[in-house]
Amino acid sequence: MSALTLKLKVELQQRLDCSPLTADKLAGKSPADIAAIELVSGRLSIPVAELFEISGEDITDIRFENSSAKLDHIGHAMSHGRITINGDAGAYLGQFMSGGQIEITGNTFIYTGCEMKGGQIKINGNAGDFVGAARSGYKNGMTGGTIIVSGNTGQRTGDHMRRGMILIEGNAGDYCGSRMVSGTIAVLGDVGKHLGYAMKRGTLLLTKMPKYGISANFNDCGSHTLAFLPLMFASFKKLDSQFAHIDSFSRVQRYAGDIGGIGMGEILVKI
Amino acid sequence: MIINGVSIDKTFAEAFPMKGTRIIITAQNIEWAMHSATAFTGFATSVIACGCEASIERVLEPSETPDGRPGVACLIFAMGGKGLAKQVETRAGQCVLTSPTSALFSGIEGEEGKEIALGKNLRFFGDGYQISKMIDGKRYWRIPVMDGEFLTQENTGVVSAVGGGNFLILAESQPQALAACEAAIKAMKQIPNVIMPFPGGVVRSGSKVGSKYKALNASTNDAFCPTLKGQTRSELSPEVESVMEIVIDGLSKEDIDKAMRAGIQAACSLGAENGIRRISAGNYGGKLGPFHFHLQEIMA
Repeated sequence: MSALTLKLKVELQQRLDCSPLTADKLAGKSPADIAAIELVSGRLSIPVAELFEISGEDITDIRFENSSAKLDHIGHAMSHGRITINGDAGAYLGQFMSGGQIEITGNTFIYTGCEMKGGQIKINGNAGDFVGAARSGYKNGMTGGTIIVSGNTGQRTGDHMRRGMILIEGNAGDYCGSRMVSGTIAVLGDVGKHLGYAMKRGTLLLTKMPKYGISANFNDCGSHTLAFLPLMFASFKKLDSQFAHIDSFSRVQRYAGDIGGIGMGEILVKI
Repeated sequence: MIINGVSIDKTFAEAFPMKGTRIIITAQNIEWAMHSATAFTGFATSVIACGCEASIERVLEPSETPDGRPGVACLIFAMGGKGLAKQVETRAGQCVLTSPTSALFSGIEGEEGKEIALGKNLRFFGDGYQISKMIDGKRYWRIPVMDGEFLTQENTGVVSAVGGGNFLILAESQPQALAACEAAIKAMKQIPNVIMPFPGGVVRSGSKVGSKYKALNASTNDAFCPTLKGQTRSELSPEVESVMEIVIDGLSKEDIDKAMRAGIQAACSLGAENGIRRISAGNYGGKLGPFHFHLQEIMA
């Protein structure tokens, strides 16, 4: 069985809600049923067949070809299967997903992995603001799973993040780890201003000192050898990421904060 | 059956079902891992009074441990899951959490949903400063302690196991019986998934089921006590002056089979010329447990 391939064949005028196109929601549907599914775009509902060239039938292996930044909600609440996106994706990629894998060759936009519970998202380009975050007004961002970003992330990465892991090979924008409740964000590149702003718990792991320094709201706890780091690096080995190849280290400078709040979060900087 | 002049009795050892787990203790070096493991498995020779039976299974190379440091694998067994959980938790709290540079991990996958706490409740020692980390689907706790951080896995698996496998070595003298036991233990320590929980792996006070005293449910195995040869229905021939027992707990009957075979073979290798006369077993007429280890079948 070959992958269910959806090749975008029109120039979209409005954003397109792709949330019905997951293995969970396509289960039991014939190719004709899939072609007839109506997707919401602006005020219109447009059948899949009018938007995409459809080929293949394996709904657990879905491919978006010629994808555009206007395709929102790809992988919405998926629990299994694999989605591969050639091109860019819009907002809310992998929102609420609880399992399976999404890989994208291009960039994603706002709220990637928003409130995801499990599974893995691999972004080979850049990601927008609020990666792994909670929607506005909601308390919990991602609560499980792994997001790997080969490029850079925008602002508020991991805002309200509660569990899981965000691995950024490039740079993270301002307010990285803001209002974080738990989980781990690791960054190989630079981080922006206000790192860990209003962070409650969780770990921000950096391979170098932030260019804007550590906020005054974080207290220096000294240099330490932390036993969990080698375990964590060992778990990275199976990932398709630069994190699989970095040399394991356990010696870090530990900063605790944000002491404007409960101050139980930590920034660990490799020394 | 006679091996190297040593008679193998046509009898069987009786063993009973237990619940068991394996834990891995690592430390900065093997000496400190061993200090912690020795304490963790201390006072754990018999469930009769210790609440569990535990011992060091083997030393682990750094490449075999979760955190890449030198480590020790320990097996611990109890009569039920609840008892096991209590023993693991108290021993981990007093003997591993306290031991410098130590870290504590599960060394066995149990049945889904039947895990017991390893560091799950020890985390409260952190007084709110403890940190949870999910790594590869397993939860770990980082507990701040005075030497840095104590890292412990949250849970460990529980498996059905077998306790009380045994055999008796009957010799012409005490030193000869002990030498045969030492040879047997050395061979048995090469077998994975088993422990011999008594001091040095050997017990000299084998017991029978029941007692003349109502308060006791086990008492000395008088039939194998050489000083009582003329006073009781003795199992011993005139030339036997000393009997020692090796008790084996294992993760499966097959593991105990292998260990018993290796141990009996090693004891018999000393032979009759070194005073080893017979190999027998603790047979309680089927009263002790459902697992039967027939000596002659094991050695066939």
